[in-house]
Amino acid sequence: MSMGQTDQTVRAVPDFRQAALEHLDSLYGYAMALTRNRAEAEDLVQETYLRATRAFGQLYPDSNLKSWLFAIMRNLRLNQLRQQRGAPHLLEIDAEEDWQWLDQATDDPLTTLMRKTEREQVRQAIEQLPVHYREVVVLRDIEGFSYQQIAGILQCPAGTVMSRLGRARERLRGLLLEWRTG
Amino acid sequence: MTNRCEPIRIQIAFYLDEELREADREVLESHLSECPGCRALLERERRFLEGVRASRPLYEASPELRRRVASVLEEAEPALAAPSDLRRRVHRSLGNRLSARPRGRLRVVMAVAAIVLLLGVWGVARRNRRIEVPGPSEFAAMAVDVHLRYLRNQLPLEIASESPERISAWFAGKVSFGFKLPSYQESSGQEKLYQLQGARLVGFKNDYAAYVAYRMRQRPITLVVTANAVAMPAGGEQIVSKGLRFHYDAINGYKVITWSDRGLTYALVSDLEERGQQSCLVCHAGTKDRDFLEDLRK
Repeated sequence: MSMGQTDQTVRAVPDFRQAALEHLDSLYGYAMALTRNRAEAEDLVQETYLRATRAFGQLYPDSNLKSWLFAIMRNLRLNQLRQQRGAPHLLEIDAEEDWQWLDQATDDPLTTLMRKTEREQVRQAIEQLPVHYREVVVLRDIEGFSYQQIAGILQCPAGTVMSRLGRARERLRGLLLEWRTG
Repeated sequence: MTNRCEPIRIQIAFYLDEELREADREVLESHLSECPGCRALLERERRFLEGVRASRPLYEASPELRRRVASVLEEAEPALAAPSDLRRRVHRSLGNRLSARPRGRLRVVMAVAAIVLLLGVWGVARRNRRIEVPGPSEFAAMAVDVHLRYLRNQLPLEIASESPERISAWFAGKVSFGFKLPSYQESSGQEKLYQLQGARLVGFKNDYAAYVAYRMRQRPITLVVTANAVAMPAGGEQIVSKGLRFHYDAINGYKVITWSDRGLTYALVSDLEERGQQSCLVCHAGTKDRDFLEDLRK
């Protein structure tokens, strides 16, 4: 992978602790992408680590720790959503409209965003994306996972990752262009 | 823009992501060398992606969250230590077949040995915590469907063999993941109580999954294997036992258990009625099997 994607392996408990902690910021970023709420994101991160420590035995020496942690987090989030919304089927992830309800527009983004730095602007633009686009951009462009790894985390075919990522970037580019030229 | 540009332009993002196959990459690079329009597009896309990637990290965890997580990891030591003991037992009972694997290569871990584990897991399931009971996963449903079609003679085996080595060799190059059936029963020296029948490919999610047919006391058992990237275990009653998480479902009267291990996802389908430890000992009475089963008795 070109972006320094980890091929991290862990063999013992202290290794696991140290390696898992190294992904804290990344996991928190993904949790924010999934929840857009700091308190919820922090709880999700904590629960992810709790589940991961309990399931550590599933992680074999040549497994990728980082993508495993991300997959745990996403499954936890799906379970939370199921409890909140009744019991939607997992396949609803692919029906993009089903995620739209999560997409609450923030107040007047243009006024505030134009004053911010470019980096902050990108961050805000990513936050504006619907969650199914947001997470795929975060997984690929922020965290550097490969398409196959993302497919593993999202539990969908790699082709879906590619098409969704294309649409997500297009939307992101549109938002940034709009803000920078508007 | 020529007619040749359009397919190239679709691939530019994949190219920048280094996800393009070598043959496609060569075609694209060759085109770029002679097409200024596509080169400009590539540069625009590159700048855009660099801009996005420059925003890393999007967030930083607060010191308070860091403390909370460190505390979770600190308190979990006993739970973390247990599975490695199980893994040592598994390694031993498989005659160290699993040790010293080339790093990064996907290999089967449990296949047949998993039958032991799974039937045992049914037994200890009631003593383990249950997490949630959502519906069966698509992969589990597919495995049951395949099992039924096999019973109806709609899925003839493409290779008939009782040899794990022959079947493993047959799959090489046919499925997109590394897959090797351990000859667990043979290595244990026990009387053969279940038999490998054969195997074939089955389609799932635009890919081939490995279908392996067993027979135990004249009753068919289906094992379907695919890569984690294609399917992950989900749904059903989740049972965590000795470091592995099993998803148990009953679909149309058939029992299906799915689990994930070392990059592969497995589904085992049967109509066996036995539950628990006794069923394991029926089929796995060999010395090494017993050694393995000791762990499940606790």
